Amino acid sequence: MNNLWQYRTRNLLSITIICLSFLILGVFFSLSNNLQYIADQTSENMMVVFFLSPDATAAELSHIEQRIRSSPYVVRMNRVSSQQAWERFQKNFPELREILKNLGTNPFPPSFEATLQKKAFMSNEILGFIEDIKNTKGVEDVQFNRDWVQKMQSLSRLARAIGFFLGGILILASFFIISNVIRLNVFARQGEIEILRFVGASNTFIRLPFLLEGVTLGILGSTLSLGLLFLLVRLFPLYLGHSLGALQEIINFRYLSLSQALGMVVGGVLMGGLGSLSSLSRFLKI
Amino acid sequence: MTELTAADRAVMIEFYHISKQYQEGQWALLDINIHVLKGDFWFITGPSGSGKSTLLKIIFREILPTRGQLVVDGINILRLPDHRIYKLRRTMGIVFQDFRLLFHKRVFDNVAIGLHVLGVPLKEIRRRVFNALRLVNLHQKMWEYPSHLSYGEQQRVAIARAVVNEPRILLADEPTGNLDPELAAEIMGVFKEINKQGTSVIICSHDKELIRHFGDKILFLFKGKIIGKEVLPSSKR
Repeated sequence: MNNLWQYRTRNLLSITIICLSFLILGVFFSLSNNLQYIADQTSENMMVVFFLSPDATAAELSHIEQRIRSSPYVVRMNRVSSQQAWERFQKNFPELREILKNLGTNPFPPSFEATLQKKAFMSNEILGFIEDIKNTKGVEDVQFNRDWVQKMQSLSRLARAIGFFLGGILILASFFIISNVIRLNVFARQGEIEILRFVGASNTFIRLPFLLEGVTLGILGSTLSLGLLFLLVRLFPLYLGHSLGALQEIINFRYLSLSQALGMVVGGVLMGGLGSLSSLSRFLKI
Repeated sequence: MTELTAADRAVMIEFYHISKQYQEGQWALLDINIHVLKGDFWFITGPSGSGKSTLLKIIFREILPTRGQLVVDGINILRLPDHRIYKLRRTMGIVFQDFRLLFHKRVFDNVAIGLHVLGVPLKEIRRRVFNALRLVNLHQKMWEYPSHLSYGEQQRVAIARAVVNEPRILLADEPTGNLDPELAAEIMGVFKEINKQGTSVIICSHDKELIRHFGDKILFLFKGKIIGKEVLPSSKR
């Protein structure tokens, strides 16, 4: 601790750079977590909507309903009449109520809404089932937004990959910074090291303080980045307000999981330790 | 109490045909053969470049000889792997001409450094540092910084640091090189006191007056070769 304080300017600088490196990694992880969360939430309640023909007979509707209900992929099914669809739209989009009134007719067809099993949702078999129902007489159209969930998941993976790439580069840079800071500290304490050697200090005794310094810098930098990330997750929505509208949900941050947070601290420890060791092995000949 | 004769005393350091060459054709030491007994007080003397410091550096394994064997306290130190050199150095105290004190640490911390290395408990460290500083008559300046001390006092701190862990061998390279005669005699008195406690002392010096006054066993070096050995009557215990 004394040594950290003695060379505080250069140590503070390296803590700042480590912190920024991990913060960038954390920001992309946080964005990725949010996108994954949205994708998970959406797939949790993923539905297929079968729009029915207004001219379909009762027998045809009963046949379609029976086929949907008997499918192993379907968890539950609702029948939505034209009237119910009209009321739902008015409730969800009150500002468009007047436009609907001006139409004079109800444009919403009746439909069957089938909630799918989570496992079945991403399988290829479900597409065959939907296609099959779509070709049944009395069914006019089908709405199945699997692509949207897949896009969310791809975006989440992309955000994570960018985080790894940018964060990785910066963490590598931090590794060299730690290595150089420790090298400077070794040079600054050359006299003390020499005396320690002459009074019989073992290699471990001489190297351990430098190793601990590197590890401490890594821990402080990564922990500080977690703190800043916490503030970012809390304050970013307040700063943004509602200016992004529908995009608000997507461009948002979510807290890191415990394993991610621990991973960052462990990463800091490893980076600090390895940075020190690389410097000690090159510049501290005992 | 019966005093030990030279024949009874154990051999602490044995040089067998030690030679050291830094550059091709230039021998810093050539075929050195000496035995240092437990409790010996040796002066190694000779002009600059005669190999005095090289001899000391070989003893504490700072450098390796080009030829020969060196046994310290029963161990051939040339076969000692690098990672075990620290064990050899724990049996020695070393005093340098330039003191090599840590000026940002107090006298106490300078002296205690070797005990911290050995993992001695703090209470014991305090006791031993105080005793070492009392030996060199500096116990009243324990909490001063070295920069506040005189040249002679700084040298005495360096001696206290070298003897605080009660070494079996004490090596000193020109310990009185820059001191006036009174201070030099004072420092020599301290070395004699330490020697009385059984520590083998080897001092490199070219101060003839000092050697004549304090020397027991004297080794004369010239251009890396032994040109003479002298055992004075006072060393025959």
